[in-house]
Amino acid sequence: MAEKEATVYIVDVGRSMGECHNGRPVTDLDWAMRYVWDRITTTIATGRKTATLGVVALRTDDTVNDLEGDPNFANISVLLGLGQALMPDVRKLRESIKPSHTNKGDAVSSIVIAMQMIITFCKKLKYKRKIVLVTNGSGVMSGDGLDQITEKIKEDNMELVIIGADFDDLEYGIKEEDKDSRKAENEALLRKLAEDCDGVFGTLQQAITELELPRIKVTKSMPSFKGFLQLGNSNDYDTAVRIPVERYFRTYVAKPPSASSFVLRSGASAGQEESGSSATVTAPGASQPSEENTLTAVRMSRTYQIKDDSAPGGKGDVERDDLAKGYEYGRTAVHISQIDENITTLETFAGLELIGFVQKNKYDRYLHMSNTNVIIPQRANDKAALALSSFIHALFEVESYAVARLVTKEAKPPFMVLLAPSIEPDYECLIETQLPFAEDVRSYRFPPLDKVVTVSGKVVTEHRNLPSHSLQDAMSKYVESMDLEYKNDDGELVNTLPIEYSYSPLLHRIESAVRHRAVYPKDPVLDPSDRLTKFAEPVEEMVNKSQPYLQKLMTIADVKKVPPKTKGRKRQREAEKPLSGLDVDALLNQEPKRAKLSPENAIPEFKQLLSRADSVEVILDAVKQMAGIIENLIRHSLGDANYDRVIEGLGTMRDELVDYEEPAAYNDFLRKLKEKILGEELGGDRKELWWLIRRKKLGLIDKEMSERSEVEAKEAKEFLSSSE
Amino acid sequence: MSDDNPPREEDAFEEEELDETGFISVKDAVLFAIDVSSSMLTPRPSSDPKKPGEVSPTSAALKCAYHLMQQRIISNPHDMIGVLLYGTKSSKFYDEDDESRGDLSYPHCYLFTDLGIPSAQEVKELRDLAEDEAGAREILMPSEEPVSMANVLFCANQIFTSKAPNFLSRRLFIVTDNDNPHEDSKSLRSAATVRARDLYDLGVTIELFPISGPDHEFDTAKFYDDIIYKTSPSDGEAPAYLKPDTHASTAKGDGISLLNSLLSSINSRSVARRALFSNVALEIGPDFKISVNGYLLLKRQEPARSCFVWLGGETPQITQGVTTLMADDTAHTVEKGEIRKAYKFGGEQISFTTEEQQALRGFGDPVIRIIGFKPLAALPFWANVKHPTFIYPSEEDYVGSTRVFSALQQKLLEDEKMALVWFIPRKNASPVLAAMIAGTEKVDEEGVQKVPPGMWIIPLPFADDVRQNPESTLNVAPDSLIDAMREVVQQLQLPKAVYDPQKYPNPSLQWHYRILQALALDEDHPGTPEDKTVPKYRQIHKRAGDYVLAWSEELDKQYSTMFGGAGTTTLVKRGAKEPAGDADGPPAKKAKIEGGTSGIDDEVRRSYEKGAVSKLTVPVLREFLTAHGRTGAGLKKAELVERVEQHFEKY
Repeated sequence: MAEKEATVYIVDVGRSMGECHNGRPVTDLDWAMRYVWDRITTTIATGRKTATLGVVALRTDDTVNDLEGDPNFANISVLLGLGQALMPDVRKLRESIKPSHTNKGDAVSSIVIAMQMIITFCKKLKYKRKIVLVTNGSGVMSGDGLDQITEKIKEDNMELVIIGADFDDLEYGIKEEDKDSRKAENEALLRKLAEDCDGVFGTLQQAITELELPRIKVTKSMPSFKGFLQLGNSNDYDTAVRIPVERYFRTYVAKPPSASSFVLRSGASAGQEESGSSATVTAPGASQPSEENTLTAVRMSRTYQIKDDSAPGGKGDVERDDLAKGYEYGRTAVHISQIDENITTLETFAGLELIGFVQKNKYDRYLHMSNTNVIIPQRANDKAALALSSFIHALFEVESYAVARLVTKEAKPPFMVLLAPSIEPDYECLIETQLPFAEDVRSYRFPPLDKVVTVSGKVVTEHRNLPSHSLQDAMSKYVESMDLEYKNDDGELVNTLPIEYSYSPLLHRIESAVRHRAVYPKDPVLDPSDRLTKFAEPVEEMVNKSQPYLQKLMTIADVKKVPPKTKGRKRQREAEKPLSGLDVDALLNQEPKRAKLSPENAIPEFKQLLSRADSVEVILDAVKQMAGIIENLIRHSLGDANYDRVIEGLGTMRDELVDYEEPAAYNDFLRKLKEKILGEELGGDRKELWWLIRRKKLGLIDKEMSERSEVEAKEAKEFLSSSE
Repeated sequence: MSDDNPPREEDAFEEEELDETGFISVKDAVLFAIDVSSSMLTPRPSSDPKKPGEVSPTSAALKCAYHLMQQRIISNPHDMIGVLLYGTKSSKFYDEDDESRGDLSYPHCYLFTDLGIPSAQEVKELRDLAEDEAGAREILMPSEEPVSMANVLFCANQIFTSKAPNFLSRRLFIVTDNDNPHEDSKSLRSAATVRARDLYDLGVTIELFPISGPDHEFDTAKFYDDIIYKTSPSDGEAPAYLKPDTHASTAKGDGISLLNSLLSSINSRSVARRALFSNVALEIGPDFKISVNGYLLLKRQEPARSCFVWLGGETPQITQGVTTLMADDTAHTVEKGEIRKAYKFGGEQISFTTEEQQALRGFGDPVIRIIGFKPLAALPFWANVKHPTFIYPSEEDYVGSTRVFSALQQKLLEDEKMALVWFIPRKNASPVLAAMIAGTEKVDEEGVQKVPPGMWIIPLPFADDVRQNPESTLNVAPDSLIDAMREVVQQLQLPKAVYDPQKYPNPSLQWHYRILQALALDEDHPGTPEDKTVPKYRQIHKRAGDYVLAWSEELDKQYSTMFGGAGTTTLVKRGAKEPAGDADGPPAKKAKIEGGTSGIDDEVRRSYEKGAVSKLTVPVLREFLTAHGRTGAGLKKAELVERVEQHFEKY
C-alpha cells in the first residue's frame, strides 16, 4: 500500500504575479501554475483517496483562513482544504486562482497556515507531509519566529519545498540580473528557511523543465510462482533435486490508461452547455459542463444467431436459454456440459522442471516469446540460495541456458521456458522467458538473400536482387559510421541500450493529455513532448557525421521509388509462363470457343480474352459478357450465397480494366449495376450486396487510380456512400 | 463466460494480421489431389527391420492430408481443406456419382472431402480411409482407363470457383508418382496445360509433391513444368523457391521414409503466408527508404475460445454473437462514429472526440527507422516483452529493396551487430523502440526450409516496463559447489545443444483438441495424453544421478561450513538457521534442498503407508500438497486428505 499523503500547495497570486518578467510571454502566475497543476493533476490521476492535497493562495484581496483575526495572516486564503481532490475542485481552483489587486500578504505566514492545516488534518497519524510554496518572492516578508517554524516543521517531519520564479540557482545556471533588492532579501530568507528545515529550495525554471521528464510508476511485483526448480522426479528417484524458488516479473508492459466508451446524452449536443451542473461554479467561463452530465455510458448487448435457411437473410435469432457452452471442432459444434467443464484441461502440477541444456551461442535470440521473469531462491532460505547460486554460476561457466517446463499452478497449461544466468556483484538470479512450441512456429518460406536459385536449380550469385561488392562495401561503411554510443551518469561510454531513458510514448502522451484536458478543457490535444519521441530519429550529430557514407550508399544502391500508379500493374508477360517457358497463349489462341465466356470459368477466360484483345471492341464485349454473368449470379443467389463470387468477379474486372486503361467500361457497368441492385431488379432486396461492395471498396475508378478516368475522387466517394 | 468479453480493442488491433488485401479475403483453401493408380497403391515395405510396416504412396498422402486437416482445425480454424482422389474407378462430384444418369462431368475424379471447413465426421472419414478401414478398398480402386489431367484440373477449378470464391490463397496439392500422364497424346497434354493456365488466372497455385519409385526418378520436365508457374498469382515472392524444394521432397525410399519426407514437405507449406503488414518503409537513413513486409513467424497458438452452442435443434449448432451498442440512458442503438472515448479522472470522465483520440495515437506513418547500430551483445537477455516480428524485403514500393536489405542483413550477421529502430508497424499503432537483428536461413535434414533468412524485430521494454528486482538472499556458491553442478549440467545437453520447437508440441493445446475430437465423434476417452514436454526422468537419473548426489553432498558440506558448521557461527545463530536445511535422512542418498519440507514428506509418507493420512493436521497436508505442485488452498480437510492419497496412488 502506498503511504498516505498530505500536501499543501501555496500559490502566490499577488498583483505582481500577474505581470510578465524577464521577457517571458506568460505571467509569473501562469508560469507557476504549470508546475502546480502538473503536481495536482498527477496526484488526482492516482485516484487514491489517501493522496490528499490542499491549496492556499497568498496575497489575495481578501482573507479566508483559521487565523484571519490576526493581521499577520491577512491576505491569505485557503482555497481548498486537505482531502482527496476531484474534478469539481479542479474547476473551483481554476476559477479562483487569478492575480489579485494587492501585493500584500506574507509568504512566511502562509507557510504557517499550511502547517496548521496539516497539523489539524493529519493529527498524529502516519502521513507523508509536504508544503510547496510557489512565489516570485516580491512581497513583504517577516523573518519573525522562523526558528519556531523550522523546529515545528522538523518535529512533524514535514517536507518544505520553495520554488521561485527567477530565483538564483548557480548550480542550475540561473541568475537574475538587476535583481530587486527586496526580492534578493526575500530569496535569502526563504533559502535559509528551506535549508534549515532540510527542505528544497529551487528555481521555477528548473522545476518546469523537469516536468517534461515522464514519471514512471513503480509497481511492486508479486510472485507469479512459488515452487520448486526440479531436476528429475523426486517421487521415483533419489537423485532428484528440488530447489525452492520464487518467480517475479522482470519486464511487464505498462499499458496506457484504458478509455471507456460514451455517447452524448440524448438531447445534449456537443457544443451545448448545461447550466447548473455544478453548484460551486459561478464565475464566467465556468460553464464548461461537467462531463458526467453530458455523457452516458455505452452498453453492449449481445444476441445470438444460427444459420436458418427459412429466415430472411439466412440467419435467425435464438433464445439465450437454448444456449450452452461449447467449442468448435472444424465446423462441428461440440457441446460441453457443465459437469464436464474441465474435460479438455490437461492435468498438470505446479513446478519448474529442467529438461536439458543448450549452448548460449547456438540460441537464436528471436525465439524469446514473452516478457521476462526473474527466478530467485525462496525467501530466507540460505540453503536454497546457495544451491541456486551454484546452478546460476555453473550455467554461466559452461555458457549454457537451461530449457525447462513451467507450470505456475495446478491445472494451468505448461510452458517451455528458457533460463539464463544473471550475475551482478550484489544480485544473482535466473532470467526466464517463454519459448515457442511446435504449433507456434509458422513455416512461411522465403528465398535466400545471399543467392538466387533459378528455375532450373542453378545458383546465381550476381543478380539485381543481390548486393554487389561495392554495395556491400558502402553498406558496411555506413553501418560503421552509425555506431551508437551511450554514456552513463559518470560520462563513461557504456555498451548498453538506452532502455532506462526511453519512455512509453503512448502511455505518457495519453496520461498527460488527460491531465491537461482536466485543467484546460478547451485546449486542443498537444503534440507528444520531445522527451517521448527522443528515439524517433537518429541524433543529428550522427546523421551529419555519416552523411557522406549515406550519400555513397544511396548512389550505389540505386533504389527507385515505384510511382503509385504503376503499383500492382500487370506483371511482365514472361512471368505468366509456366516453368518450362511454354507459350500457353499460343495454345489458347487455337481454342476458338473461348471468345465466348463460360459462366463457370468466367474469371480465367475474361483475363485471357483481355490479354489477347486486339481492339477496344473486344474489351468492351468481354466486359459486357462478364457483366451479364455477374448479374446472373446476383439474380440467382440464394440469400448471400453467391455474393463472394460476385465480389471476386467485380474486383477482377476493376483491376483488369485499370490495367488496360479502360476505366469507363467498369464505371459505366457499375453505375448500371448499382441502379439495378438498389432498384431490386436482381432478384429482390440485394442491399446487403451493395453494402459489401462498399466495404470492399469496389467503387468507381477515379482519376487517382487511372489517368484515363473522368471521375473525380470526390465523386467516386459519394457514389459509393450514397444509397440512391 | 469468456464469449461475453471480446478482447480489448487496442490489443487485438496490434496483433491481427491483415484480413483483407483490396477486395480479397485473406483466407486459405487447400485441395489435395491424390493420384490413385496401381503403382501409387502398391505398399512399400519398411527397410528398417526395427520398424516393420508398409505404406503405399496413396496411403501416405492420405495420412498427410488427415494430419494437415487435424492441424489446421487447430491453427487455422477458418481456412478450408478438401480431398480429391483421381484415377479412381468410381467417380463422385457433388450430386453426380456412378449411379447418376447421363455423362459424368469428371470421370475418375472422386471428391472425397468437399472443400470447406471440415466437420468432425469428415475428419473421421478421412482417417478411416487413410487407415484403410472397411470401405476404403472400394474407393481406392484404380481405374482401368487413364484419367484426363485436364479434367482433373478443371474439376479442381470448379471446386475452388464455387467453394472458395475470393480467397487470397487457393492451393492445389498434387501428390503423384506419374511424371508423364499423357505421354502419347499431344492433345490431352495441351488441354491440360490450358486448364493449368485457367487455374493460374483464377489465382490457384499448384504445388506438386512428386513421388519417385525405387527405380524411377520423378522428372518434372516431362509434364509438370508446363503445368506449374514461376510466380504465384497472389504472392509474387513465394515460388521462385519452390523448385529446389520439390527436389528435396522427391521421396524415393520405403514407405515410412516416404511418409516422413512427404509430411515434412507438406508441413512446410501447411499455412499460407499471411502478412502482418505490407510495404512498410525501412528507413536506413534520412531520405533512404526501402520497403519490407512483416510476418508473425512466431506466435503463441491458443485454443479457440469457447462459444455458445445452440441446443434447440437435432444437432448442436454454433451460434454467432451479434453485438449491439446501446446508450445507457435511452437504450437507443449507437453507431461507432458517435462514440467518444473518456478516461476516468478525479471522479469524472475526461472525454476526447474520435478525431482527438486518433490524434493522440498518431505518431506518424508506419515505419521501421534505424537510429543507429550496436553490437549484438548489447541486447540483454532480459530485454524482451513479446514475440518478434519477421521482416523480408518487398520490391513493390522501392525497386532495389531486396539487394539493399540483403547487404544490410549480411553486414549485421558478419559483424554481430543489431540496429536500434523506431518501429510503428501500422497506422496508429503505438511506437516502440526495438532491436533489429539478422537471422540466417535454416533447413532440416530433408533440405526443407525451417527458418527463412531475413531480419527480426524484437520490441524492447521501455523504462516503464522494467520492474525492479525483488529483494533476495545472496549466497554466492563456492567454486567446489559450482564445479559439482557444472558436471550435472554437462551431462544433460539437449541434442545438438539447441532448442528445437518442433520436438515440443503444446500438450494442453493438443489435449484440448484431442478431447473435442473424441466428443465430436462420440469416441471413447483417449486415455492418457501424450506430453513431450515432460522431462525424461529415467535418462536424467541414469546420466546425471551420480553427479547430482556428489553435488548434494558438497552442498550439505558447504552449507554447514557457511551457516551451521561448528566454529563458524555462534550457537544461537546456528539453532535459528537449522530448519532451513535438509536435516534428516542419510546425506548421500537424498538430493533435496527443500526449506524444511522434506521432513514433512517422510512424515506424510509414513502416515499414508499406515493409512493414517487423516490424522495429519491441515497445515501439514496443505504444505505437502503445495510442495508437490498441487493446490491446497480453500479446500476442506477431507478434500485435502483425498488429494494427498491421490498423490501417493499415482506414484
